[in-house]
Amino acid sequence: MTISEAELDRPRKPSLFGERQRFMLLLILPAAFGLAFFQILPILTGANASFRDWSLHDPKMTWVGLKHYFYVLSDDGFLKVVLPNTLVFMAVSVAVSLLLGLCLAAILNRKFAGRAVLQTILLLPLMVAPVVAAIMIRWMFNDQFGVVNAALEAVGLSGQPWLAQRWSAFAVILMADIWLWTPWFALLLLAGLQSLPREPFEAAAIDGASPWRVFRFLTLPMLRPVMVVCIAIRAIDAFRTFDIVWTISAGGPARSTELFSIYAYNEAFQAMNFARGSAAAMIGAAIIVVLAMVIFRVLNRWVEVSK
Amino acid sequence: MKSPFHATRRGLLSAAAALGLAAALPFAAQAQIELKVGYMKHPIQDASLDMMEKWAKANNVTFTRVPMAYNVFMEKVTATLTSGNDQFDIIWHNDDWGQLWEKWVETTDDVKGIENVDKWPLLAFWNAQNKLTVVPMVHTVGTFFYRTDLVKPEEVPKTFAELVSVSQRLQKEGKVKWGYVGGMSMNNTWFAQWWTMWANNCDIFHPMLERDNAKLKAAGFKPAITEPCHREIVEFWWDAINTHKISPPGMTAYGRNEANALFMAGEAAFTLVDSTHYGEFNDPARSKIVGKIGMAPFPMGPRLKQPTSWNEIWGWGIPKGSPPEKKKVAKEMLAAMLADEAGQIEMWKKTGGPPPNIKVWPKIAATDPMFKQLLHAVFEQKPITHSAYYFAEWPAVHKAYSDVVIKALSGKREDIAKTLEEGAPSLTKAAMN
Repeated sequence: MTISEAELDRPRKPSLFGERQRFMLLLILPAAFGLAFFQILPILTGANASFRDWSLHDPKMTWVGLKHYFYVLSDDGFLKVVLPNTLVFMAVSVAVSLLLGLCLAAILNRKFAGRAVLQTILLLPLMVAPVVAAIMIRWMFNDQFGVVNAALEAVGLSGQPWLAQRWSAFAVILMADIWLWTPWFALLLLAGLQSLPREPFEAAAIDGASPWRVFRFLTLPMLRPVMVVCIAIRAIDAFRTFDIVWTISAGGPARSTELFSIYAYNEAFQAMNFARGSAAAMIGAAIIVVLAMVIFRVLNRWVEVSK
Repeated sequence: MKSPFHATRRGLLSAAAALGLAAALPFAAQAQIELKVGYMKHPIQDASLDMMEKWAKANNVTFTRVPMAYNVFMEKVTATLTSGNDQFDIIWHNDDWGQLWEKWVETTDDVKGIENVDKWPLLAFWNAQNKLTVVPMVHTVGTFFYRTDLVKPEEVPKTFAELVSVSQRLQKEGKVKWGYVGGMSMNNTWFAQWWTMWANNCDIFHPMLERDNAKLKAAGFKPAITEPCHREIVEFWWDAINTHKISPPGMTAYGRNEANALFMAGEAAFTLVDSTHYGEFNDPARSKIVGKIGMAPFPMGPRLKQPTSWNEIWGWGIPKGSPPEKKKVAKEMLAAMLADEAGQIEMWKKTGGPPPNIKVWPKIAATDPMFKQLLHAVFEQKPITHSAYYFAEWPAVHKAYSDVVIKALSGKREDIAKTLEEGAPSLTKAAMN
């Protein structure tokens, strides 16, 4: 069968996507499938579970509406311990990591002998799995075998039961998190520093500006867009920290270092109440979304002001 | 002359036949039954699996081990069981989650040799139809270990007060840094708080020592942690850590790994943990106290007249999702494990795990003085109750209990009663979930 000339001449329906768009869609298809099956579908399953009677060992799946949401939102442990802990953890971890990362980036931005070696050493924590780092830190701060107490005792100070007290355990967890994430800040801020234009700095040097004034009025404002991205990404990530807390203290002693993700895990997998754990996760997700919007708004204004 | 097409077709047909044959061969091989066992990597479980594998090899059964980490085992296997798939044909079963799985695992009353196991530890494993759902693998019994190079058998503490005085004497003489070490953090509650609780004739809920869920429910899961017998044990541990200093200051955060590490390093005179750790205490590659370990009955609190003990089991379960022909073979294999006397004796020698077949015990005791000690320390002492509760909300209750008691131990001594009073409702809330 041949195609008639009339058929060939008939105007073709314009395609929704051009060849280029179709090719682009084809390229993103595998990632889209991955996202749908491993992100969106589990989120929808979790959301569905949060409205049902869904214990892990006996998933009846009967509809219970907002019952689990009310439970979590009226739980003193969640409101008075878990949320404040999580917010303090997020704020301190991000602020200190940013500060230390900025210092390290400023040091590494200068030329000196051994800079490459120092840079490699400083990036080592990024190469350690958080769980491995947390296990090491738990033993370092063990009151009997730990290297920290051994060092303190060597200089005549008494060792401490670091993980048996609320604030010292919280400080150990924070320290571990800061140690793990400072190099990440340093790396990104260093890239930011190295991409800044030279001219303003040359002008400042001609004007005889002090290093502090150069940093305060040139480097910092010009680096703000990079810092905004770093803070936003890391703040969201810090909110859902699980591995190092679980390994170092499991939220103890007596829930005093429990963060949001540990709370959701305990409800879902220790209390076996998958539905309540899912409801806690959904509430956490909502809090993250609101927090992210606030952070972006505040930081964007900060960037605008600096322009 | 045949055309090239014919030659090609003949070649294709030959290739198809060869492929068909190759494809059929694995199906022929698949006629051999495969049993997949989901378990936690642990010397005792491996020893039990060795017995099963021996039988599997002799009976042309493919035997596949699927190890899982303890931290995810219960969650992962529960999800598998409730989905009804046949990922496992046998699974590690534990009294802690016996009731969670009762409707997802097969009954095992008909497994040959089940009449030779101890009936006391099976309480957690009866289903709603009063049928057994486990085949025991090993007894997990809390065992009071002491250092034979430091303490003569007649000096071993028999009471809490003696535990303190003997510990302090050994510390004063510079023989040991600590008297007692034991895990206290969540999931390690047995190794300090709970053994002393039962050894002081106390319990978690009213009616005390009761394990009938209907009676507990009828009593409204009323916590007993505010009772004087319970307050006394919290005060005992507070004093042990802060006043008498026989236990390390960080012990409230210890799991059994930390406590065992201290005991194996020779830093402590006494510990209490499952007898299944005897193997590692006596492992020259890991322990400094090899050959210096004795076992004795639990020291008693002021409210108990006779020493108590706990005696539970680890076992094997058969998921309902496993195909019928595999379930039948799995039961035969588990029966063979129960009947394997040589394998069970070997398991005891390698690991310190008391075997499930109690008919083997006298034979081991006749030749092994350590097993004789264990019989006296644990099995000859009558447990006053079980070392857990057997209802689905038990893990949540355990967590609530741990949080309240650790909080009391982390605060001031004079606040203990108040902290227990304030925390008690959280146990009822967890149980009535």
